Amino acid sequence: MELHAAALPVGRLEMIIDGGPRPRLGQALRELWAFRHTVLAFAERDVRLKYKQTVLGVLWAIIQPLALMLVFTVAFGRLAKVSGGGAPYPAFSLSALVPWMFLQTAVTFGANALLMDSAIIRKVYLPREVPVLGAVAQAGVDLAIGVALVAVLSPALGARFSATWLLMPVLAVLLALLAVAVALPLAALNVYFRDFRYALPFALQLWLFASPVAYPMSVVPAQWQGLYVTLNPAAGILDAFRRVLALGMLPDARLLAASLAGTVALLWGGYRLFKGLEPNIADVV
Amino acid sequence: MAYAVRFEDVIKRYSRGGPRYPSLRYELAEGVRRIGARFRGEHPEPRGTLALDRVSFEVQEGEAFAIIGPNGAGKTTALKLVSRISYPTGGQVRVRGRVAALIEVGSGVHPELTARENIWLYGQILGMSRSEVRRRFDEIVDFAELGHVMDTPVKLYSSGMQMRLGFAIASHLDPEIFVVDEALAVGDSGFQAKCVERMTKLVAEGRTLLFVSHALSAVEAICGRGVFLLDGRSASAGPTRAVLRAYLEWIDEAARRRGVRPLSVAGRGLVIERVTLHGPGGEERYAFRTGEPLIVWFHVRALEVVPNPWFSVGVNDGRPGALLLCTMLERPMQYVLEPGNHVIKCRIGSLPLGPRTYEVWASVRESQGAVDLVDWVCVGAFRVAHEDAVAGPSGATVPWMYGPVRVDHSWAVESG
Repeated sequence: MELHAAALPVGRLEMIIDGGPRPRLGQALRELWAFRHTVLAFAERDVRLKYKQTVLGVLWAIIQPLALMLVFTVAFGRLAKVSGGGAPYPAFSLSALVPWMFLQTAVTFGANALLMDSAIIRKVYLPREVPVLGAVAQAGVDLAIGVALVAVLSPALGARFSATWLLMPVLAVLLALLAVAVALPLAALNVYFRDFRYALPFALQLWLFASPVAYPMSVVPAQWQGLYVTLNPAAGILDAFRRVLALGMLPDARLLAASLAGTVALLWGGYRLFKGLEPNIADVV
Repeated sequence: MAYAVRFEDVIKRYSRGGPRYPSLRYELAEGVRRIGARFRGEHPEPRGTLALDRVSFEVQEGEAFAIIGPNGAGKTTALKLVSRISYPTGGQVRVRGRVAALIEVGSGVHPELTARENIWLYGQILGMSRSEVRRRFDEIVDFAELGHVMDTPVKLYSSGMQMRLGFAIASHLDPEIFVVDEALAVGDSGFQAKCVERMTKLVAEGRTLLFVSHALSAVEAICGRGVFLLDGRSASAGPTRAVLRAYLEWIDEAARRRGVRPLSVAGRGLVIERVTLHGPGGEERYAFRTGEPLIVWFHVRALEVVPNPWFSVGVNDGRPGALLLCTMLERPMQYVLEPGNHVIKCRIGSLPLGPRTYEVWASVRESQGAVDLVDWVCVGAFRVAHEDAVAGPSGATVPWMYGPVRVDHSWAVESG
């Protein structure tokens, strides 16, 4: 696909649609940027839909992490006596559960976005990333509510409320990038093979227990932490959330950098896979 | 004049045309099988179905262009290529200008959201900016005629109302090229008229329209040129009326072929071996023009002596009942069929029929005229060809769809 502006009236582009090589990354990203408002429209629609038919509505964004916090506190804090690493266990778990819930929701909705919106995909041209990004953005509302919940409960739970909170938005961006990196390839693969749809909830559960949510990062021996975090970028980001929200500490810069490297690698590979599968999506979905 | 859309030898093959639903297991097995075939030096055929096969045409800027053809001919595929929803397997589609596609407009609106939310969000998803949606909001509501139910979830609407909403939103986009698929399946006739009006207005404003529809009279009325796709190939291209004629001829010919009865019909004492149709010169043929004579030949074998077998011939257009009936019963002939072969001919002096496919039915009664020797049965089909010299806006399609019988008539207007 190419764009030519030559020999045409001002502002008129000639577009050549063929089965040839896909547009380069830069062009794809520029086009995606032009559709940023559409991403927001998808996100707005998803948020409206999410809370439209539920009696408890927005309360769900609070109930879910709270309930999990209670379960974790009883199971891991009381029975298994996992240490809160300087904070009471409820604050310790909630501060990682809130970002984890975001990751889980964003990936689940993102991975199903192309199937859910197949009606639109089959008849409107959009960069196919748009519904996926919209689904990830939509989960941001839950994250905001969750963080507010942590802020409100912090004093009662005994967490340290400190200036490190200011780093939270940066971590949220990192986490969103990770969600996109995982959701994009899954969304495209889902269109071709529904197998991924059924494997996803299971895989997410494994991922939860492979990440330091119920237990502290210190469970992993120090010399392995760098590799661990590179392979599972969620670990470094969730640990950073916990340090910032519950422990009043700065994130471990080394681990965060390793997480970032892992995320970027995932994002690059995932986006390439997505773009490779993209041309036939509308034919197959 | 510059083109807005240009198809250059476009090929589209759908890879998943096979009989199986794709699954990971199947794909893996298939992959292994193909690698195996490579090793043995075989070159497997490309899988899937060919939806477009080297199709070329050009749509001029500001023109209304029709794509017609039977289901599965590749019409929607062509539109999807223009709007970049899908990509060609070979060849190129060149597009100059922004494209908006109105394809199955009703199914894009979300059932859980209200009309207000749908206009706001679906409008943006289709490509309007926020300010554009705000500016055109009232216009869209007016057009959809849904002002009284703006805050009701769309799922509580009738399907016609949903489609109306979808069309209203989509048709208020502001592109240079409109791609419209089957939009006229939308709503009641009042709304359909509005849609036609809207499309004519868009063309009058200088926009390009690519129009796919089975509403042939709308195609004839709106579009100046077009292409007739058949099995993915361009069967005819040019001025709409010529293309429509080719398409209607094809429909009629296909229907006629379905109506051909090669089998003989056995009755009591005689067998109708076959029935052939002939022109005035005695030549066998199955396409006629309005006003031409038509001769029906019954090739009959009598098994015994049959006194006065009275033949009847009826012509109908697929609907119950005969449009015309020629029968020996109203003017009895005295004759006897000896055992052996005979040809019995019925001459219709002048066919009072318009273009379309007709079936020929027949029966034979015994000499008392009370009992059938051969039951009323369809014995063949013919078609009346389309005329070149129609002038009215829907002159080629409307008579074809409605009244088949041609009578001499004239119009007069007396005012005051």
